[in-house]
Amino acid sequence: MNPSLPPAPEPSRPGRSRHRSRRAPLAVLLALGLTVALVAAACSSTKTGGSTDGSAVLGSPLTIEPQQRFPEGTTLKVVTHDSFAVSQDVLAQFTAQTGVEVQLIPSGDAVTAVNKAILTKGNPEGDVLFGIDENLLTSAFDAGLFQPYQAAGLKDVPAQFQVDPQHRVTPIDHGDVCVNYDRTWFTDQGLPLPTTFADLAQPALKGKLVVQDPSASSPGLAFMLATIASQGGADDASSSAAWVRYWQQLKDNGVKVVDGWETAYNVDFSGSAGKGDRPLVVSYASSPPFEVTDPATPPDQAPTGVIAATCYRQTEFAGVLTGAAQPEAAAAFIEFMLSLPFQEDVPQQMYVFPVNSQAVLPETWQRYTTPVADPLAIPYEKVGANRDGWVQQWSALFR
Amino acid sequence: MTTSPNRSWWRVGLAVPPLAFLAVFFVWPVTAIIVRGLRPEGVWNLSAVGDVVTDPVIRRVAWFTLWQAVLSTVLCVVAGLPGAALFARYRFVGKRFLWAALLVPFVLPTVVVGVALLGVFGPNGSSGVDLSGTIWAILIAHVFFNYAVVVRTVGGAWSTLDPRVEEAARTLGASPWRGFVEVTLPRLRPAIASAASIVFLFTFTSFGVVLILGGLRQRTIEVEIYDQTARFLHLDVAAGLALVQLVAVVLVLVWFGRTQRRRALVLDRRPASEMERRAVGWRARSFIVANLVFMAVLFGAPLGVLVAKSFSTPDGWGLANYQALDSARRGSTSFVPPLDAIANSLLFAAGATVIALVLGACAAWAIAGSGRGGSPRWANWTDTALMVPLGTSAVTIGFGFFVAFDRAPVDLRSSVWLIPLAHAVVAMPFVVRLLVPALRSIDPELREAAGVLGASPLRVWREIDLPVVSRALAAAAGFAFAVSLGEFGATVFLARPDRPTVPVAIYRALGRPGAVNFGQAMALSVVLMVLTVVVVLVIDRLRPAGSAEF
Repeated sequence: MNPSLPPAPEPSRPGRSRHRSRRAPLAVLLALGLTVALVAAACSSTKTGGSTDGSAVLGSPLTIEPQQRFPEGTTLKVVTHDSFAVSQDVLAQFTAQTGVEVQLIPSGDAVTAVNKAILTKGNPEGDVLFGIDENLLTSAFDAGLFQPYQAAGLKDVPAQFQVDPQHRVTPIDHGDVCVNYDRTWFTDQGLPLPTTFADLAQPALKGKLVVQDPSASSPGLAFMLATIASQGGADDASSSAAWVRYWQQLKDNGVKVVDGWETAYNVDFSGSAGKGDRPLVVSYASSPPFEVTDPATPPDQAPTGVIAATCYRQTEFAGVLTGAAQPEAAAAFIEFMLSLPFQEDVPQQMYVFPVNSQAVLPETWQRYTTPVADPLAIPYEKVGANRDGWVQQWSALFR
Repeated sequence: MTTSPNRSWWRVGLAVPPLAFLAVFFVWPVTAIIVRGLRPEGVWNLSAVGDVVTDPVIRRVAWFTLWQAVLSTVLCVVAGLPGAALFARYRFVGKRFLWAALLVPFVLPTVVVGVALLGVFGPNGSSGVDLSGTIWAILIAHVFFNYAVVVRTVGGAWSTLDPRVEEAARTLGASPWRGFVEVTLPRLRPAIASAASIVFLFTFTSFGVVLILGGLRQRTIEVEIYDQTARFLHLDVAAGLALVQLVAVVLVLVWFGRTQRRRALVLDRRPASEMERRAVGWRARSFIVANLVFMAVLFGAPLGVLVAKSFSTPDGWGLANYQALDSARRGSTSFVPPLDAIANSLLFAAGATVIALVLGACAAWAIAGSGRGGSPRWANWTDTALMVPLGTSAVTIGFGFFVAFDRAPVDLRSSVWLIPLAHAVVAMPFVVRLLVPALRSIDPELREAAGVLGASPLRVWREIDLPVVSRALAAAAGFAFAVSLGEFGATVFLARPDRPTVPVAIYRALGRPGAVNFGQAMALSVVLMVLTVVVVLVIDRLRPAGSAEF
């Protein structure tokens, strides 16, 4: 074969024929546009037919009979965050009692799941939404996301969890967000265990704390709110607000901020299997039992522990979505979520505490979790009104 | 020379299916979400776009996004070229395996890669250097993810180049460097441009890497779009940002397209098996060793960390993490039977690969054509249009799907069909990018000669086009499969009742505390690695018979 290179074919050079260069992208755009228009037409023609507005349902409050049974083949769609879990046999009890099959729709983390629901309000993807926390309630209520349902099961739920007098949402579980420590590290260093917010800013603990970005992570947001609740300055929008000054101390003390819980706990925290280099992490009050690796020979204490003074209450709620195809079955499911079988299943499945005061905790939980008597909290209306401003104040310090 | 009318008609016809697919599964959802942002109550409100463009913070983010992407692309190409040469020119033990294993980083979830890279370059890392939170961590991660794109794209093209041209230059007195720069490099340019454009788009829209390894200060437009969409539901700001990203991506693609077409060369191809040889002499040997050492440090060490962690249990080394996969959460709705996860992953990936290959091949033949005189304008624009999804924010596409396909007859929101379709949107550009340079390198005289000798167009296609591009086709299939196995892009935002894949199972395990869950995530990552290597090895062997040598 001829080893020399054959001459390259003349490529069409830009600008050589001007009228073609203008028409050509137009043709492609036109083709794309036409298809889109056709699809849009196909969709909008059905839109006018059977679209549910949702506002119609608001008039009559939702009621169901106790032990109500539903027609054969009723399927309930439950939109959840990705961390939702329940034992299959517990779920089967609901189906046995009501005749309703449950389809779970994991829909991202809590914030994403709620925002997706707001985006499609009136035409929801499911009937029930589970996993909304206090910090998201305001935007959900403003969007009219839920229709009220007052569950009979609320009689066993302490008043502190029942934040919505209109019952648009029902409390299901709570998990306090607390700073966790790696007990081994403190023992090895001969240092006392930290007990207060002030301890975290001490020079001996320089570069030892990892937290999550409050604009991106729900425990991160809870911890920021905990500093606001404890240090004060909630109404001070300046950079010298007491809580912002506390964060300045943390920053000077080498706090590390990461994107989310997974990174903080698995990559940076020294007390997890990831074996990071920081003995202090923002996690949950319920994390320690899961670090007890061999339940057969239980140590006296879990290898990690919780700084109780830093705990911030986080409650998770469920609600019947406006425009739900199966509102009554949705209400029955909320009732079921408050019942003992589900409530006692919650700790091992979702790593959070039940709200039902009658529910019995698993044995490892009784042994290794410390009940947080008086966690920090800020009313959800106040969080809703101020959250973006607080996150901006925080961001000004860290970005 | 002009193309005859009937010829250009088949080209237009071939371009219709991929463009229609793009229109329905990309343009339509993206338009839907942007319009939702800019026209909230039925009235256009473009003030957010103006705010975004003039916001100094956004400008800084845009500037960072651009320069880190350019730098990452240059680094990936520079790091990948020696690897491409290695695979193109030498025969060595374990070559096939390594060629497939290159795709492993490509499929691993970012959190897992974060664990792996920080195990080497982190605070307690085995390298002793702490790069976390620096731009270097981002750059290393980008090379880690995209090395395969350069090596497999350029290496594939390189392996069929006739080395005797360079050898002739050497005989005439050129130094090895000059021989490479003036003879081989120009012939590789289309492939390098292809690889570089893909790497650029990936790094330009980098999300997880920046979040996990870059610390707080480093933010890309992609991260901002994610925050504004999924976090704050400020759809107007998100729409403004998405438009900025779209314009930037289209500009860069147009520029790449021009560079690439100007340099498209007809090549005299040789069978790859003729080209590779055993290493002779210390120069060749040390070249191979240096390459393997580089790969061992960049890939072997971090992936080794993952494998080690997967076998590490609270009571020493063992298989407990793997055994836990099938037992630990049995009875829970969050339990993912490992075999089911693997089956789901393979099913989605197979579907996505078939869709991407068929549509991408249609597009590639339409774009490259078969005659002389280059491509008409519409074909070049089609080429650019098909690349845009790779440079579009995953959250824009994901939320776009969510608002676009929300009513009957196309309420696909929680349909499993959305998953392979969304994967195919991202995988198709790979197919096009790999096939077009290969097709353009076919000497038109070859096809004409076959035609003159009486071959039907179909036979010309089967006996000339297909054998030459089969290597590119296999490489494209490998990428398409990997894109889908790795759960790229928008699928993260799509709900998938009852059909968790391996990466989804990894995320579920990482979302729970405790050594058991962490160990399972590591074990699943190793499963994903093995799955990738096995599937890609199979795909590499599946090339049509009789074409294996190209």
